[in-house]
Amino acid sequence: MTQTTETPMVELKGVKKRFGDLEVLKGIDLRVDRGRIISIIGPSGSGKSTLLRSVNNLEVIDEGQILLDGVQVNRPDLKGLAFEKHINHIRQNMGMVFQHFNLFPHLSTLENVTLAPRKLKGVSTSIARELGMELLERVGLADKAQVYPSALSGGQKQRVAIARALAMQPKVMLFDEATSALDPELVEEVNRVMKGLAEEHMTMLIVTHEMAFARDVSDWAMFMDGGVVVEANTPEHLFSHPDQERTQHFLRKHLGTQG
Amino acid sequence: MEFDFSPVIDYLPVLLQGVGVTLLIGVAVAVMSVVGGQIVAVITLYTRKMVNWPLRFFIWLFMTTPLLLQLYFLYFGIGEWILIPAIVVGVLGLGFHYMAYNADIFIATIKSVSSGQYEASRSLGFGHLATLFYVVLPQAFNRALPQLSNNMIIMVKDISVLSAIGIGEMVYVSQYAISVTFRPFEFYITITVIYYLINLMMEAGQTWIERRAAYRS
Repeated sequence: MTQTTETPMVELKGVKKRFGDLEVLKGIDLRVDRGRIISIIGPSGSGKSTLLRSVNNLEVIDEGQILLDGVQVNRPDLKGLAFEKHINHIRQNMGMVFQHFNLFPHLSTLENVTLAPRKLKGVSTSIARELGMELLERVGLADKAQVYPSALSGGQKQRVAIARALAMQPKVMLFDEATSALDPELVEEVNRVMKGLAEEHMTMLIVTHEMAFARDVSDWAMFMDGGVVVEANTPEHLFSHPDQERTQHFLRKHLGTQG
Repeated sequence: MEFDFSPVIDYLPVLLQGVGVTLLIGVAVAVMSVVGGQIVAVITLYTRKMVNWPLRFFIWLFMTTPLLLQLYFLYFGIGEWILIPAIVVGVLGLGFHYMAYNADIFIATIKSVSSGQYEASRSLGFGHLATLFYVVLPQAFNRALPQLSNNMIIMVKDISVLSAIGIGEMVYVSQYAISVTFRPFEFYITITVIYYLINLMMEAGQTWIERRAAYRS
């Protein structure tokens, strides 16, 4: 990827992660510049979700460094409450979208979106409400503001989850297989919202199984397998002329089943 | 045998006072046992075993012994040293008893909140405690509601046990009225109907609460 002198929005240096004896990340380096969109593809168990979850410390890495806008995310030197305070602050700058939405079922759609700004940033109820409605408008769900998550479709839930993450005005958005749990006909509405963010130059890290979407929306694509980055390139190159045999094999299988 | 309800009419103010006492105790015990049950559950789940063993012992103790024994223990046993007013003993005794049962329910429902909910909350920047207050406990509470309201319906009936330590609730005042009027049947029928009406209202409340909670979980 083009290297610039500006501080990268997200940077990973030699990131390693083990679950017991199994090493799931074997030294990952990655640089994501401001406004860039990176797609991470790969088979199940390749470590791509773990990588994404490590970025906001939902998985604690064993070695290496993760930086957000120049600030180190993992801080092995900080313990207990000091680390808790540090990571809570860092996480307010990162939006995360999960495969299974994880909306708060006891709160209305609007309350899901406004909870964090109200409680964490001290935004007043009326201003939070305005902001929340604006975001719901943006994901096309303003008419569902008072509805509870149990009454929403999967696609609608995920759009609310995106609005909820955006409400904290994050510097970067992390998408962990955001459309994998959706019925095929609902994928498009979520993809549309993500494309909208891309057009606004939101920095995004996207773990996905949607090859066509990854190719369409990202500036850079990474293929991971067995805890390493096998190949990384522009999406045009990676999807059309992959250099590595493992990438070719994966794409043949995946695009074959898709088409 | 002839029914004569005129003594019941005469003693209606006394009976209604008993109803009032029962309802007041019911509200106090409900608040104490629901709030306390949550606190006990949270401490039991989120502190080390070394720290929370007295609480686990407390739950075990109150769930394995009869309510009447607990009341006697608090009123006559501890009463040997300090005299506590019967009404306080009644509320505390019933409160602790149902706190133990409610804590057991909350422990199960807090555990049932999925890890995804914790992760979503943490990823927004909420800390452990904030996650507990804003995300986990409200959901655990909604899920606990059907069993909680069952417990509270049983609790209201158990308030009658407090007559054993001389608290003027419904059964106690009707006993008194019967001892004066010698019309047991009429009074028992009357308080049975009152219990039935209280229960009917509680069940209606339960249905409403459960429907609301189901939509929000």
